[in-house]
Amino acid sequence: MTDESILRVEGISKSFGGVKAVEGVSLSVKKGSITGLIGPNGSGKSTLFNLISGAEKKNPGGSIEFDGKQIDALPPHKRSELGMGRTFQTPRLFPGMTVLENTMVAPRGQKGERPFVSPLRRRWEGQEIELAKKAKAQMTRLEIDKLYGKLTSEISGGQMKLAQLSNALMEDPKMLLLDEPTAGVAPRLAQDIFQSITNERQERGTTFFIIEHRLEVLFKHVDTDFVMHQGKIIMEDKPEAIVKDKRLAEAYLGI
Amino acid sequence: MASDLLPLFSGAAVGNICDISSLLSRESIALAYPAISVSVWVIALVFAMLAGGIMGLVASYPALRVKEEWFLSMILLVGGETFRIVVTNTPEIGCGFNGLAGITTPFYWLSNYLPSGPLQAEVPTGLYAAVIVLLAIGCFVFAQKICNSPYGRLLKSVRDDKVAAESLGKDVSRVRKQIMVLGSIMAGLAGALYVYYIGVATPEDYIPALTFGIWVMMILGGYANNRGLLLGAFVITMLDRGSLVTGIALQSYLPTLNSNLIVYGRYMVEAVILLLLLVFRRKGLLPETRVKTKAYTLFDFGKKKAQASSPPAEAPRAGGEATS
Repeated sequence: MTDESILRVEGISKSFGGVKAVEGVSLSVKKGSITGLIGPNGSGKSTLFNLISGAEKKNPGGSIEFDGKQIDALPPHKRSELGMGRTFQTPRLFPGMTVLENTMVAPRGQKGERPFVSPLRRRWEGQEIELAKKAKAQMTRLEIDKLYGKLTSEISGGQMKLAQLSNALMEDPKMLLLDEPTAGVAPRLAQDIFQSITNERQERGTTFFIIEHRLEVLFKHVDTDFVMHQGKIIMEDKPEAIVKDKRLAEAYLGI
Repeated sequence: MASDLLPLFSGAAVGNICDISSLLSRESIALAYPAISVSVWVIALVFAMLAGGIMGLVASYPALRVKEEWFLSMILLVGGETFRIVVTNTPEIGCGFNGLAGITTPFYWLSNYLPSGPLQAEVPTGLYAAVIVLLAIGCFVFAQKICNSPYGRLLKSVRDDKVAAESLGKDVSRVRKQIMVLGSIMAGLAGALYVYYIGVATPEDYIPALTFGIWVMMILGGYANNRGLLLGAFVITMLDRGSLVTGIALQSYLPTLNSNLIVYGRYMVEAVILLLLLVFRRKGLLPETRVKTKAYTLFDFGKKKAQASSPPAEAPRAGGEATS
């Protein structure tokens, strides 16, 4: 882990009508770290993720820098091409496709994704098998390999979370924004998911930026953690320090 | 022999391509020169595909700017209808309302070599129909190959969730543009083949009812299933042609019968089919298919083996991964 940051956000805001969901947030995430983002419901965590990934447009002003590049003006798919993956709080999968197809669609720049190459099976089949092996390993690790032939509209909420994580990991991103990766997942599996995240970080140096409500699991794995409240970052510290801080209880309990 | 061709090549003496004399000269040329007949047909197909592709590209611009598919279909329907009305009222484009007639099948010249009788007309038409079927099979195989590939997955992902597809680095606008162009190229090909089949290119053939006919084919067969589309196209085309033939045949037996009742009754039947489908089978007769690539072999292999060898012994294992 170096001190170099992979994501640097400077004074960005977002308002919906009169509501300021995110207000002048500045933060930086260190390359290769596992960074948490916590805060009560409605504090703007997911909106912040949407602004970073480009799913929503930020208000004019401020800047977002990813891996040394200014990305504010880029459309979401370009940000993803630079190596930024994400999952959604409410799982966004492709309901008309099976779990395997969902995982297989994720890798970028597949040879067979070009319309006039796609009919020429021989040109892409080698790559397809390689990706399928990777998908199988990934799905086995997340314990969703048995569901491969099920449509993603037919599986449970927790399984959807896992399928989504599997999609996001397939792309080999430099940084992954995970929006509540273990909500609705069995407690034992929640531990496993965080274990996979830690392994992934060690093996490939992937950076993780995670929104999570299961603090007991999150705090075991994160290096540093941000606390968000009413659209603002109110704390940034190591988890041990944060649990002791009174401001955390104040934010959650509204005192 | 070359005397009737020369003025055509010089371009000076073509005159009005819409009048009856040029219609007759088109037919006589088609009869006399097999090579020209076939090559003009091939060129026409290529141009139709090109024109279709360009129109598709133009149409994809609104397609990228609407948020819901409903608006897109409205825009395309209105755009198509506007285009048809413009053509109908512009004699300079395809002879306007009257259309361009005297387009014979590329095998019209075969009648020179056939004994006089009904065969003279039926052999060239039948042969041409066979060629259309072959091209249709070609298109079907092409579509199947595209669908059962990573591109097929990409298409489905863009259809299912634009935001999620973008978050996975997919250029949704580009994919939409590509598929509009690809679809329009196929439609252009179909249009050119059709014109050669019925012998006249007239805007009155492309009224909105045609759009809805194709829509019923799609809904009948099932979304995202090429076999279903084939089934739908077959049923609706049989209904269309069948009602025409039945209407005419009945007329000759019962002169008092109004054959229009049967000929146009097909629209009512189509509407009833559409309503029944929307109520009872919203996803069509055939279900959506998987994107079949080798990726499944890594997963399906064990299951297939288990089913083939000894189902009872392997049942617990296979039961865990039931996919029906």
